[in-house]
Amino acid sequence: MKVPLSWLREYVRVDATTGQIAEALSIGAAEVAGVAGLGVQGELGFFRVGHVLEAAKHPDADRLQLTSVDVGEDRLYSIVCGAWNFGAGAKVAVALPGATLPNGLVLERRKLRGEMSEGMILAEDELDLGADHSGIIVLDDGLEPGTPLADVLPLVDEVLDLEPTGNRADLFSVYGVAREVAALLGGELLPMPGAEPARDGDEAVGIGIEDPAACLRFVGRLYRDVAIGESPLWLRARLRHCGVRSISNVVDVTNYVMLALGSPLHAYDHDLLRGGLVARRARKGEKVRTLDGVERTLTIEDLVIADDERAVGLAGIMGGEETEVSSTTKNVLLEAANFEPVGILRSSERHSLRTEGSNRWEKGVDPYVAGQAATYATQLIVELSGARWVGAEDVEGELPKPAVIRLRPERANDLIGLDVQAAEQAEILGRLGFEELRRGFRVPTWRARDVTREVDLIEEVARFKLPEIPFTLPRREAMFGRLSREQRLRRQVEDVLVGAGYAEVYTSSFVAEGDLELPEPLSAEAAALRTDLYASLLEPARRNADSGASDVALFEIARTYRGVGAELPEERWHVAGIADGDFAEAKWAVEQIYSALGIEPGYERTSERFLHPGKAARTAEGWLGELHPVVLEGVWSAFELDLDALAEAAPQVVAFAEVSPYPGVRQDLAFVVDDNVPAADVLAAIREAAGGLLRELEVFDEYRGEQIGERKRSLAFRLSFGSFEGTLTDEDVAPVRASIVDALATRFDAVLRA
Amino acid sequence: MPEKEEKPLDRLAAVDPEGLQQEALAAVAAASTPAELDDARVQYLGRRSALKLALREVRDRETGMTLNAVREAVEGAFEAREEELRRAELEERLASERVDVTLPARLLGSPQLRPRGTLHPSTLVRREVEDIFLGLGYEIVDGREVETTRYNFDALGFPDWHPSRSPRDTLYLGEQTLLRTETSPAQIHKMESQRPPIYMVSIGRVYRRDTIDATHFPIFHQFEGLAIDKGITMADLKGTLLYVMRQLYGPDREMQFRTHYFPFTEPSMEPDVSCFNCGGAGCAICKHSGWIEMGGSGMVDPYLYEFVGWGPEEYTGFAFGMGVERTAQLRYGIGDIRAFWDNDLRFLRQFR
Repeated sequence: MKVPLSWLREYVRVDATTGQIAEALSIGAAEVAGVAGLGVQGELGFFRVGHVLEAAKHPDADRLQLTSVDVGEDRLYSIVCGAWNFGAGAKVAVALPGATLPNGLVLERRKLRGEMSEGMILAEDELDLGADHSGIIVLDDGLEPGTPLADVLPLVDEVLDLEPTGNRADLFSVYGVAREVAALLGGELLPMPGAEPARDGDEAVGIGIEDPAACLRFVGRLYRDVAIGESPLWLRARLRHCGVRSISNVVDVTNYVMLALGSPLHAYDHDLLRGGLVARRARKGEKVRTLDGVERTLTIEDLVIADDERAVGLAGIMGGEETEVSSTTKNVLLEAANFEPVGILRSSERHSLRTEGSNRWEKGVDPYVAGQAATYATQLIVELSGARWVGAEDVEGELPKPAVIRLRPERANDLIGLDVQAAEQAEILGRLGFEELRRGFRVPTWRARDVTREVDLIEEVARFKLPEIPFTLPRREAMFGRLSREQRLRRQVEDVLVGAGYAEVYTSSFVAEGDLELPEPLSAEAAALRTDLYASLLEPARRNADSGASDVALFEIARTYRGVGAELPEERWHVAGIADGDFAEAKWAVEQIYSALGIEPGYERTSERFLHPGKAARTAEGWLGELHPVVLEGVWSAFELDLDALAEAAPQVVAFAEVSPYPGVRQDLAFVVDDNVPAADVLAAIREAAGGLLRELEVFDEYRGEQIGERKRSLAFRLSFGSFEGTLTDEDVAPVRASIVDALATRFDAVLRA
Repeated sequence: MPEKEEKPLDRLAAVDPEGLQQEALAAVAAASTPAELDDARVQYLGRRSALKLALREVRDRETGMTLNAVREAVEGAFEAREEELRRAELEERLASERVDVTLPARLLGSPQLRPRGTLHPSTLVRREVEDIFLGLGYEIVDGREVETTRYNFDALGFPDWHPSRSPRDTLYLGEQTLLRTETSPAQIHKMESQRPPIYMVSIGRVYRRDTIDATHFPIFHQFEGLAIDKGITMADLKGTLLYVMRQLYGPDREMQFRTHYFPFTEPSMEPDVSCFNCGGAGCAICKHSGWIEMGGSGMVDPYLYEFVGWGPEEYTGFAFGMGVERTAQLRYGIGDIRAFWDNDLRFLRQFR
């Protein structure tokens, strides 16, 4: 909502600068996106009313005039001008040398085709007042030459760019903003603009409401002998500064009054209407061609304005093309109605059509302002088009009655955390138009949709007090904060992988295909929720490698989603990683994770379509392996583990075991076994056979060679034994060793090498 | 050397396109090694092959088209077979590369000694935010991402016509299931499971149907706080956010609060922090206003208490929400939000 300050100050008397007004609005009412200076930004003294004393063709240029202009000094100014819509005797707008035009151009004395030109006779676009450049501005004949131009034309203005929230429909009007400024800064709010001119006839208008829940009010006014023409400069300048295009005097009036009071209006060419106007639901399949030239097929949910035969407009959104006011219009019917917001919003969405009007209706316009809007528009139409006002009707639908809400001042203070006296609370509400009654405050009609409960009244008080509210902390009688176990484990896994050289990435939750499809996907690549993470890591891995990064190792911790037949899918945290390098890379990372979480994993060979057939393993919580070269070019390893499963498997507390005070014995044993016997199986067999003295066990070497034999390998194990009874010797562990050798021989045909 | 010798035109008659094609395809199928396939290629597609010779000498359009069709079919077959053989060879090689997956990593090869990795900037911010609130006695709640309209909208006071409910703004999975558009549903679940005091922050991914540009990405992360207790005030909200913002952006930060509107808070306010770059004098980061908008906040709307079955005045509370990426952008001076999802190591490795 663009609010020119010159306009705002017509409605509110307040002793505040533009900056103070913007600040107060921004804190207490609505976001101020900016304050823009409009028109002449430099010295105003260079802009004067000029009296053209002589005007003749430039001696050396057919398209230029050479003029002599009185600008109120003791000498005349010679000015070369390209426009021909004036002659000697005209009063014009002059910028003298030294003037800075709104577009930044600084005027100088200079020769034009050999003739000295001292300044410029101005067209409206050069002053940022309008779009017209077909001729210069011709001023009123009665003006004295030398009069400051700023006294005659709105040369300077400032515009507030206000972004009210959706609950504040009242702030989508200059008057509404003025009301707010008056309340916030203690200014005087002047009465709403608009006074009824004398009525010149008593013709029937023929207004009706068929759907009183959708059309709450319908004011119709009829004018005859309307002279459609261009609006005066002040009106065009105002619209321009509000970002609205000027069309013609009557249409401009409807827009101007909408901007002033917030209630959108529409004007019809009365001679093109067949009968009166009614607000009704569209008939199924009914069509209307709107002003934008689009033929729209309506549904029975759409509210239309119709004459006796057909729809002539999409109510509140856009009028119809057939009954549009044009340059030949003689008689005008004005609609000042009020529409229920949700219906307008839905129609606007259905037809993908948003207008200044629909934007206001969908937020909820005060139904009681329609009358004043009709009055103000009537005044301006009569004034600007010479029309006769000949008819008026005002039909009410289901007009809401203002609510009365009780306010407990102490409740307000308890919520705000600041002591605001009851009288001051009432005073704030009073300034905003809330009337204090014995049983509470009567909500003004322009706030009826927003303020319905006591807490809404409290907000009204609070927003006037925001800067005064102190900074405190909750008293906190019972509370404590701690990461959950799962959250702590997640952090731990992140740290382990960072330590192992992995960089954390964030990738999309979406993939091209999956069980959980989006009915309306974001794109072909983002059409379903992912069930695993590793696939999302392929692309970043490839791109980083392509861009020349070394040591590419990436991981992600995120949710995966799986349809489980219930209303909501199962969401599980996963961790996945990818690294340049062979199987050992993934194995190392996974070992680090398990070790950090205190879990002893079991690895088993596995096969997956995307994994190297000989270098893929699974654990109870996931998989790891070298990627199949067709999945990603080069040698890459990857893993993915279910973090929720890891959290379940991880011990809650460390299982502490007493440490023996006696030295133990260490023995290294190497066995030759068949190539396809997994080391893990041998380890398990050793552990089983070793009994209670075994403290530590690990495989520390693998060897293949001619002396070992084909399809055989040697595995070397390091065993530590210990006892709480006393110091162990090799003799003590000899039987244990023998039973291990026996067990392995029996189970695996293993032969002890050393 | 190319042969210049003129071939008699009637040699064409000797070429039977269909027979030639069948013969060539049979040879392709029979080749079981790349070498055999190469031999067959020379024979059927080489410069001196019957097909190529015939093509070179063909004069009439129809025969030319027929022969070209044969050439394309045969070439296609060679390519397909080549790929098959390559794949078979690859599979054979891979099968021979079997390792004992139960061996410890260091016996399987030598994992690279990589330089230390990095946490994503969003994780750095997430942890910092978590730690600040843990210190204030809040618990951290992850919440689920796929939610129902009941928890994402109804419970939070979004009227049924609210534009956020539109599929143009929200990603739906079904009629009543969607990807959460804010982390607040987790707060409703918490309220349903427990009576106050509640002091919690929900952090995680949220989703909106936004077109990707420098400031929008359809997935982002939010942290939203909720404090409900006896006697919580707007002053407590202001004080809490001041503490948090000073932790995040430095001890000299000031705050201002502007009135706003959100469906689930009343009164609602937008918090601004004095610009940490210019100290409030005005610069590009704060768009010359001296203040930086941080998100939304307000007092829990009594509607929520009634939704979970409490009395509307038993407790009061406040809520606020902010963006993780935005916080990271401000902290590290990252201009483009897409950088968070590009996963470029040159970007990521700076966050040590």
